[in-house]
Amino acid sequence: MIRLECDKRFRELIDRSFVEEVSEGERRLMHDHIRDCDGCKRYVELTGRTIRGLREFTFTSEPDSSAQVREILAHHTETMRQHNVRFKIWAAFAVALSMSFIGSALVYQMVKYLAVRTHFDAAQVQAGVLVFWLLPSFCSALCLLAARGENRGIA
Amino acid sequence: MTLNTTAETETAKIARGLRERDMELLADLVERSQRRLVRYLLYLIGRRDYAEDLAQETWIRVLQRGSQYNGRQRFDLWLFAIARNLAIDYLRKKRKAVQTASLPDDRDEILLVSSSGPSPFEAAARSEDAIRLAGQLQILSPLYREALLLRFQEDLSLAEIAQVLGAPVTTVTSRIYRGLAALRSAFEEGGDSPGV
Repeated sequence: MIRLECDKRFRELIDRSFVEEVSEGERRLMHDHIRDCDGCKRYVELTGRTIRGLREFTFTSEPDSSAQVREILAHHTETMRQHNVRFKIWAAFAVALSMSFIGSALVYQMVKYLAVRTHFDAAQVQAGVLVFWLLPSFCSALCLLAARGENRGIA
Repeated sequence: MTLNTTAETETAKIARGLRERDMELLADLVERSQRRLVRYLLYLIGRRDYAEDLAQETWIRVLQRGSQYNGRQRFDLWLFAIARNLAIDYLRKKRKAVQTASLPDDRDEILLVSSSGPSPFEAAARSEDAIRLAGQLQILSPLYREALLLRFQEDLSLAEIAQVLGAPVTTVTSRIYRGLAALRSAFEEGGDSPGV
């Protein structure tokens, strides 16, 4: 019984010595024990042999495996770049469009104020803002979108 | 100190390259890590064909999520962690497709039932001892195989293995000890005890 407990304690220490750092004291204790214990000596041999055996596996990947991966990655990078560019263009268009509406609203308010002062008709002011401000800015945003798309080959 | 600084610079460079999707850097990483990645996946799923496919998936994931690599840890640990998650997801999907039985919730449990098909270990054995171990490795739980590979072939520290596995160090050591115990039986006289 005592022998078994002793074995277990030393087997755990032996296992630990193969897997992680053990203190100098523990190492000395282990070596002293192994010198007198055939069972543990055999255990150390087998564990060492197992670990050496594990290091003797040589896996080779397919010869063109890396080249294939590089090719796939290059293709994905290109696809992702195109998606990215498309997203940026649409985001820019959305910003330009909203700016053109916000700008129009501000101009309309300003012109309406001036129209009251200068006795212009409200309908005339609305038509003026539409023709001279909103439509040109809207068309500019569309032209910008078309031109950028054409440049990137995605129009 | 100098070595640490060099390592930090290296990981920071990789992090920047991944953020910018630098193809030259990616090609270099593939060249350096592809063989180790395939080997890791082989130990996890025990099938050569799937390992190669999953390695490709892993690199695509690296490209897509490159900005998530912060450069504070080793790149290969991050790579292995991605590969591990993909392998588990893949095995989960595969099992769903072939059987209607309920799947275990624990991600690690998925790996416990993944071994099937011809052994890639026999083909990779380069010594008499390795040939004896190959049979045991094939029937050994992938969880133990994975821990043994990371410790004795990749030479990672226990803390680094714990990082890849997302498990405590005590779990890692326990898996290594149990794996070693199962493999040791290949050398014991009349050693035909089953894998864990």
